[in-house]
Amino acid sequence: MSSPETLFRRITDYASRADPYPLYAELREHGVARQEDGSYLVGTYDEIAALLHDPRVSSDPHSRAEPFRDPLALQEGMPVSFIGQDDPEHDRLRRLAMRHFGPPHTPRRVDALQGELVRIAEELADGFGDKERLDLVDDFAFPLPVTVICRLLGVPPGDVQQVHVWADTVVAGLDFTPDEDPEPRRRASLEARAAMGRYLGELAEERRRRPTDDMLSALANDDGPDGRLTQPELMVTSVLLLIAGHETTVNLISNGMLTLMRHPEAFEKLRADPTLMPGAVEELLRYEPPVQFLPQRTPLADIEVGGVTVPKGSPLILVLAAGNRDPRRFTDPDRFDITRQDNQHLGFGSGVHNCFGAPLARMETRVALTTLLARLVGPRLLQDPPEYRRSPVLRGPRHLPVARTPGGR
Amino acid sequence: MHVVVDLNRCQGYAQCVFLAPEVFELHGEEALMYSPEVPEDQREKVLRAVAACPVQAVFAGEQAGAGAG
Repeated sequence: MSSPETLFRRITDYASRADPYPLYAELREHGVARQEDGSYLVGTYDEIAALLHDPRVSSDPHSRAEPFRDPLALQEGMPVSFIGQDDPEHDRLRRLAMRHFGPPHTPRRVDALQGELVRIAEELADGFGDKERLDLVDDFAFPLPVTVICRLLGVPPGDVQQVHVWADTVVAGLDFTPDEDPEPRRRASLEARAAMGRYLGELAEERRRRPTDDMLSALANDDGPDGRLTQPELMVTSVLLLIAGHETTVNLISNGMLTLMRHPEAFEKLRADPTLMPGAVEELLRYEPPVQFLPQRTPLADIEVGGVTVPKGSPLILVLAAGNRDPRRFTDPDRFDITRQDNQHLGFGSGVHNCFGAPLARMETRVALTTLLARLVGPRLLQDPPEYRRSPVLRGPRHLPVARTPGGR
Repeated sequence: MHVVVDLNRCQGYAQCVFLAPEVFELHGEEALMYSPEVPEDQREKVLRAVAACPVQAVFAGEQAGAGAG
């Protein structure tokens, strides 16, 4: 039962969702653990960090010895998004997208969203009204990032709900539940991705005819030094940004509120001094990262990791959340400390595939938590641990019911 | 307030440029430029950049140069 060969099965078991950390500690004891299905699990900080910077480690599903389906592919024959590609193609596509998201070409797009982000967060909090019971996921953590990513890309407000439904279906398809037939969910997810791709493709066509100042217009119209995204590339890339900008931030905010409510001292300290919030967000990314592991890496050659040879083509799973609690890297790693120094966590990954949207996620989470802390008077968790989503990768509460004293500001 | 970036540590993640575009600037893909003297109205943004740097290469303080060696 407790053989290291079954660790992945035990980690992905839904019963472990609320607290996978003892299993991660067990994984770190082994450093690298070969699983019964021939995959390799890595849970120590130094090894994970080195692998994330190792050009012999591929993100391309085609590098697997056993065929592997890209869970984010739009349909057969469509290109793969840059998350599932290696350099130089990854670099070209990521650069083409980054050009319209951040520096050096567009240094102010994210910063410029701040005012609007605050307004959206305040509106959502106004919506709490006199309710004494809230679900911080459905009432706040979920709608905020969806609205923001749609605004950034340029999805008209009237279509946000539809995008929301598609994104939900896609994410449901990413979950693996070992003893359930994955086929129906997989098919629904594929259909949602295709529909989302078609929708964004049509929206891009419209932006070519009548450009506006959103990111989709920029992606569709600009001819930079690397050329332009083809129409299929544009569809795949914008679907990736919509989905990635959606689910992970929801979990960061929900895990964040759950963690802060479990640590009332930190909660009060942050409420009194919001300038501590940037450090607290980094600590949350370490302590409860919204992406727990990267399941899609593959060595391109036989490589040695912590004294173990991982054969070319075998599935390599990097457990970021285990590395984030490695006592050889972090002092007192199981302690939640919002003023932690030297917090070089793996919450956004590292290396060439490090999270594209990290600056946006940081800003959204800082604003979200600051708003909630100011508005929640006498909050109490009504269910601890709360009900979790199925996914062991994108881990977070499905609902986060809290009671509060109405009022507050 | 002063800011110093340890350019030996910097790996070009550019989180500081996102968070405080008035203080940090990218020239080309990787060359980071910044103004060491932080205007009062940029203080908070610079402190956010310090917290967000994935390799902890940004230092700020009244005497940032002193502690950044």
